[in-house]
Amino acid sequence: MTKKKKALEEQAVAAEPVAVAIGEATGTDQLKASLEEIKGYEGVIGYILRNSTSAAIDLKDPSKLIEYAILSSSALEAGEELSEIFNLGQVKNILVEGKEVKVLSLTVDDNKISIFAEKNADLEKVLKKLGQF
Amino acid sequence: MNLNEIYTTALNNVLDEMRKVCPDIQHAFVYNQSGEIIAGSADTPQKVMARVVDAFDDIFERAEAIGGVEAVTLNGSMGTVKLYNFNGHYFIMVYSAKADVGYVDTIVRVLVPTVLKVLEKLSPTPLKNEIPPPQPKQLPMEDSTATGIPTEVPVEELKLELEEAKPPPAPEPEPFHEPLPPIEVPAVQLIVENIGGLLVPSDTVRVDSETLANWENAFEGKKIEYVEIETFDGKTARYKVKPIKDSKYAGKGIVQIPEKAQLALEIKKGELVKVKPVIE
Repeated sequence: MTKKKKALEEQAVAAEPVAVAIGEATGTDQLKASLEEIKGYEGVIGYILRNSTSAAIDLKDPSKLIEYAILSSSALEAGEELSEIFNLGQVKNILVEGKEVKVLSLTVDDNKISIFAEKNADLEKVLKKLGQF
Repeated sequence: MNLNEIYTTALNNVLDEMRKVCPDIQHAFVYNQSGEIIAGSADTPQKVMARVVDAFDDIFERAEAIGGVEAVTLNGSMGTVKLYNFNGHYFIMVYSAKADVGYVDTIVRVLVPTVLKVLEKLSPTPLKNEIPPPQPKQLPMEDSTATGIPTEVPVEELKLELEEAKPPPAPEPEPFHEPLPPIEVPAVQLIVENIGGLLVPSDTVRVDSETLANWENAFEGKKIEYVEIETFDGKTARYKVKPIKDSKYAGKGIVQIPEKAQLALEIKKGELVKVKPVIE
């Protein structure tokens, strides 16, 4: 009985990382592929994808990379804070519209995504694309 | 009715009308670049407003890279928060999930700039923590925070009211030869921020150098060494005051208060307090 239980535990321990690794790789890879496609949409100037293990950044103007990364992070944090204050439930997305650029930030599982676009760009298509995750 | 009251009344009326048009607006308030709450519905507590101002402030600080913030929309599963920046007046609206956000958005973008334009035309004085020049007569301390029930004043009547409120042309000021009577300077509302670093004196707070300069001008160049801080719970205390060192807090409507003082006043970072100079 004890031996059988131990064997099951070992099996579970051995199976778990494989499943998680495959799941994560597939999900994040699909997300990256979608973001690459989104980057080609009219008016989109780049994206930042971050999770606990990696980050992918693709911006047409890399000189603003750090500022954009900090803004993206601040927007997501503010979104969480505001949602808590007003009891808005799960944050779907936060859109920060600047005078030149707008930023759409959202979280998909462990992945924090920010899409940067020109002020007049239509982000509906982007939301639709990311909505599948 | 002074100019700030006229602004507050007009903006409260706008918020009121918005809520009539869209009953799904749960909270609505307006604040300015100094973080001062100008108008707001009575059912939104001051502390909540202060937290919201603080949360958006983090975005504003980092938004230079996108040319400053014009609007922010947070979509949650149970509602939406929207911030509109109309020339330094920040309108916050919180909608329930069933609200027709697009409809309200259109109304806000048409109605609010129109009202603000009318107000600007009536009085080009920007709505901010401005210190009036010293008056020989003692003025009552004013609190521009509007959390009470807004007075019903149609916008059309504002012009008339403003004209009534306008003081008669001031005669040429005469130099004072007698000692000045005590001058009451209105308190400014500032957001509490921590003071970082080692060996922070617990009896000294830091205020924007511009605010200090305004106070000093109001007191004819007299150096402001002390301020009185009043919390919204009514606790008051006097502290030494120095200008804020950190340039990132300049012009943000911040008062940096040491941790011990925050504990004594039972306040914390992000809350609003009233600060006024003390002249001895």
